[in-house]
Amino acid sequence: MENLLEIQNVCLTYHSPASETEALKELNLSIKEGEFISIVGPSGCGKTTILSLIAGILKPTSGNIFIRGEKIEKPGFHTGYMFQRDNLFEWLNIWKNVTLGLNFKKRNNEENKSYAKELIEKYGLGEFIRHYPTELSGGMRQRVALIRTLCLKPDLLLLDEPFSALDYQTRLNVQDDVSLVIKKEKKTAILVTHDISEAIAMSSKIIVLTPRPATIKSIITLDFDPKLTPFERRKEKSFNTYFNKVWEELV
Amino acid sequence: MKKQKQNYSISHKKYLKSLLIKKVSIHISRILLLVLLLGAWELCASLNIIDPFITSSPSRIIKQISFLVQDGVLFHHSWVTLYETLLAFAISTIAGTLIALVLYIIPAVRKVLEPYLIILNSLPKIALGPLIIVWMGTGTKAIVMMGILICIIITTISMLNGYISVPKEKILLMKTMGASGFQILTRLVVPASFSDFISVLKINVGMSWVGVVMGEYLTSKAGLGYLIVYGGQVFKLDLVMSAIVVLCILAGLMYGLVALLEMYINKKRT
Repeated sequence: MENLLEIQNVCLTYHSPASETEALKELNLSIKEGEFISIVGPSGCGKTTILSLIAGILKPTSGNIFIRGEKIEKPGFHTGYMFQRDNLFEWLNIWKNVTLGLNFKKRNNEENKSYAKELIEKYGLGEFIRHYPTELSGGMRQRVALIRTLCLKPDLLLLDEPFSALDYQTRLNVQDDVSLVIKKEKKTAILVTHDISEAIAMSSKIIVLTPRPATIKSIITLDFDPKLTPFERRKEKSFNTYFNKVWEELV
Repeated sequence: MKKQKQNYSISHKKYLKSLLIKKVSIHISRILLLVLLLGAWELCASLNIIDPFITSSPSRIIKQISFLVQDGVLFHHSWVTLYETLLAFAISTIAGTLIALVLYIIPAVRKVLEPYLIILNSLPKIALGPLIIVWMGTGTKAIVMMGILICIIITTISMLNGYISVPKEKILLMKTMGASGFQILTRLVVPASFSDFISVLKINVGMSWVGVVMGEYLTSKAGLGYLIVYGGQVFKLDLVMSAIVVLCILAGLMYGLVALLEMYINKKRT
């Protein structure tokens, strides 16, 4: 199968008056359709930088990134980005928040709108369509943010620690929710996280990065029963084995 | 939200009652304070403990105001000042908000103008009075200009800070969804700075009155500021006090209108 995402020899250097920092060095990575990849690594190693590059909001100093064979140079239709905070607009109701992105680049057609409506109904937010973000719980807000991303029909979801602002109990629930939605909608996703167990619970492959300048240290393929939810994975025996494996790679 | 009408426990009823009592007693205290102050003032003046010629008194102020009303001059003077104030308020709010938007959009201009803004903000605008009169004449124009000068700098600075404090992550989000610079501005930056705009309106209500009355002190043929200066010069303190009372009422009304507007828009948005 053809690779959905292709990162070739990407380097990135940040400049500041005091110094220049090499964030990424000779990064090579390819991701196939339907995979769920987690990226873990020491803090400040440039995990978020990788997502920004794939989304096209940053340009690599050298090297190329392709999605479906198309070179990424600016933000486009290919990727949907989810941040740590839900970033819902407090002055818009849930429906307007969800369909916010449809207003840009002339995507505001009936087909996309009905898809958005379908997602809202399917994932239990139907009765809150006229409510405002402040009236929703943290978990529900993050679900709205996910639907806002999904209704733009991205090929690739970029998840930048989207659960870290939630309390522990909510986080476990939302992980199940998001994982279910992504599986059902058959999306490819890259999750950046500092939480090893989250990475093991959610993904099919874990990429461990080295300290700055980041490059790939190792790739760990996870083998779980595909029917298991992230929460059920946590109860598996192999969960701990994987945890120790990733932990050893990190230190 | 719906008001729930259910059987509260006794302790909750007590709590609600204590809240109500607190609220009512604050209102009563406010009115009582005013009555007490006015009463003491009136009493001292009528017993000649203080000289009503210098301090005036509530009854003399009422007499003066009703005299001014019968004469028809009160309405005229109030209208002149109100008109100037509304003009200064509107022009400086709109212009300041737009200038701030331009400074926000073009960071290079913002960087260049930053020190000038800071100096202009700390400059006592009254110092420009003589210049304004020479350049703009001694009419309404000069007075409104004074009001604008006082409001516009602070409006620009406050709105600029409002625009800048829009979370970077939200801007990034808009970019990842393919929004153009103009869309980021109209869909995110402007609506997100709404609360800053309301607080600017509230500040400007006060500041525009300050500016216009100051302008009238400098140069005027009519207006409440004119009445105050004139009253002071001919030692008619009743007139001075009356004009101040009318100013209080008008400024309070204008602030109330802005507060109502805020409530109305907030209701519409939620």
